[in-house]
Amino acid sequence: MITRPKIVAGVFVLGLVSLITAERLIQRASAADQATATVEAPRFEVDPAFPKPLPNGMLMGMAIGVAVDAENHIWVVHRPDTLSAAEAAADENPPTAACCRRAPPILQFDQQGNLISAWGGPGEGYEWPQSNHGIFVDHKGIVWIGGNGTNDAHVLTFTQEGKFIAQYGASGKTGGSNDTVNFGRVAKIFVDPKANEAYLADGYLNKRVVVLDADTGAFKRYWGAYGNKPDDTNLDPYNPDLPPVQQFRTPVHCSDLSVDGLLYVCDRPNNRIQVFTREGKFVKETFIAKRTLGDGAVWDVAFSKDPQQKYLYVADGKNERVYILNRDTLEIVSAFGDGGRQPGQFFAVHSIVTDSAGNIFTTETYEGRRLQKFTFKGVTQVPRDQGVVWPIKK
Amino acid sequence: MRRQLSVCVFVCAAAITGIAQAPPQWGVDPLWPQPLPNHWILGSVTGVAVDAGDRVWVAHRGLASLLTRTENGLDATPKGAEYCCASAPHILAFEADGRLAANWGGPGPGYDWPRNIGGIAVDATGHVWITAQGLPPAPPARTGAAAATTPPPPEDAHVLKFTREGKFVMQIGKAGAPGDATSKVGLLKPAAIDVDSAANEAYVADTGNHRIVVFDATSGAYKRHWVASGSTPFKAVACVSVSRAGEVYVCDRDNNRIQVFKKDGTFVREAIVSASTRGAGSVWDIAFSNDAGQQHVFVANGTEQTVHVLRRETLAEVGRIGTGGRWPGHFYAVGSVAVDSKGHVVTGEALQGKRVQKFVVR
Repeated sequence: MITRPKIVAGVFVLGLVSLITAERLIQRASAADQATATVEAPRFEVDPAFPKPLPNGMLMGMAIGVAVDAENHIWVVHRPDTLSAAEAAADENPPTAACCRRAPPILQFDQQGNLISAWGGPGEGYEWPQSNHGIFVDHKGIVWIGGNGTNDAHVLTFTQEGKFIAQYGASGKTGGSNDTVNFGRVAKIFVDPKANEAYLADGYLNKRVVVLDADTGAFKRYWGAYGNKPDDTNLDPYNPDLPPVQQFRTPVHCSDLSVDGLLYVCDRPNNRIQVFTREGKFVKETFIAKRTLGDGAVWDVAFSKDPQQKYLYVADGKNERVYILNRDTLEIVSAFGDGGRQPGQFFAVHSIVTDSAGNIFTTETYEGRRLQKFTFKGVTQVPRDQGVVWPIKK
Repeated sequence: MRRQLSVCVFVCAAAITGIAQAPPQWGVDPLWPQPLPNHWILGSVTGVAVDAGDRVWVAHRGLASLLTRTENGLDATPKGAEYCCASAPHILAFEADGRLAANWGGPGPGYDWPRNIGGIAVDATGHVWITAQGLPPAPPARTGAAAATTPPPPEDAHVLKFTREGKFVMQIGKAGAPGDATSKVGLLKPAAIDVDSAANEAYVADTGNHRIVVFDATSGAYKRHWVASGSTPFKAVACVSVSRAGEVYVCDRDNNRIQVFKKDGTFVREAIVSASTRGAGSVWDIAFSNDAGQQHVFVANGTEQTVHVLRRETLAEVGRIGTGGRWPGHFYAVGSVAVDSKGHVVTGEALQGKRVQKFVVR
């Protein structure tokens, strides 16, 4: 016969065992949760001290392009004319305040964040864009810029010192998406070093990708969505519940070529990336934040710096985040960023690029007006939504 | 890792005045406050205040100052964005470590929520006061579908008192029923408020009437008012702040002027700050340093995009914090300033600045 204390002790022991078991189960469950909650992806930390303040009280307007050259210098194009009289008070005549003045439109920063050159604007022999848009520094060190102003139907090239080289197309002469001389408000340029060809995201008016000879500017080929012949017929406003349209919806906002010769095109208000061969053969597409309206979710892309370019980074200036995609499957693996004016937050993150170390640089348009650096911290376990990626406290 | 940037947000005192006694130096904490939850973003910040627990209280304009097409797509109908962003509530409080401690604000029964919120103050009992500042002159009327079809709400003409939890306590003045410069019950677009807790009196910058009005902080009863000293009237009275020694500092914003009074309105002295500033003027808000003697005065200058550091006794400039720009430690329209018990300086940016920042004593 079991005595009463023994029963109590037995129940106690049993209870203890159950508790331990339960705790182990909970531990196992939370481990499982954690496994599903995190994914392997690149991790970044914003560098709140980058870049260094601009000298001489200079301010940046809407920052609508960023590029990295062979020396890992960071190039930014912005719109000085978007700074109000109250902000650029020192430019007023007479000045209404000692601070601040408009910086020249093209800015070059070194890796430490120092501004090392600044130039740009109207000059002899070329037509400066009405509205600056997009910058690229090619394998020969040539600086390309586009423009999305009403009359901007051309692209320009300069030396890194700002000396004019060439203009392709002419201001005010656009002939639509099947014009083989002029463009329609070009958003971005990417030069393929192997074939020495320039890919133009054309653009805010036209609905196509154009390929030029990078030395002569000669037209080589162009195409629309799915490789179709582009058609400038007005499209109804984007509706996420309708089948995808067979044309790009302006602006066609990026056209960047990967190391394996695939062209990634930002079909911005259609919330999609379309992938093509160099020749314009449609390969595949993916949709991002499909219910995004207005400005759309696919603003710009950049590639990770591993030899295979395993990841594709997509800047979304409407949802204020950067998506990390598996470039092969086009699946969203993770994302970082959120809205706001503090480090690592965004207002209209417009352009994105990576340097040779895999660090990300972004610029913001509208009232964001910043260049930000996100330091690459390796491929590791990260949450699917990384939120604002501040430096981890040590 | 929490860093303080040593970017050029400081100007050495000696560099400006050459005087020996330099004020402390401040460095921006780029990682304060912590990111808001719910993909909330700030609108134009119109006021900051620090309470007895070193919590920073923020008033911002919210929806009225955000562009739904580009900034707060989650507030649109239908939603224009999937992830971000939405306006944060008008009143926010942050702990000293940057965590969000309170969020509330908006219309409710028994009071007139401002069309456009203005200044904020927290008194010794922890009550939160805000002003209904009214809208700046309207931009050219839109035509077509975007034109307003409903009449605008009544014009701001009041101040409000809440508990720290956001429970309504008292309203002075009434929306749509402004008073004139002699009124004992009405205000017109008051931009700022401060509470003298020792005397239990609320000082209101009655901007639209170019005067300072004092009310009983419990009953709301009118006590006294005064206008600018001298021949030049106040032009955009943007702040009123009572010092520990019992002097009342008034921001005469567009005149680049600080006027100092006794609590009864007797004029004491005045000073011009940043005489060369034009436009919207140099004196947007004032805060006192935390030392016993309140040796320094901080002046937010949203036109020059800086915070002037003045010797309180002489009102002579001895340093500056910040310059123009969008990076940490920079300003766009810095229009409000407050100081916590550690001497850290907190700023709020209006217009498109839409930030609060903390500058830590080094």
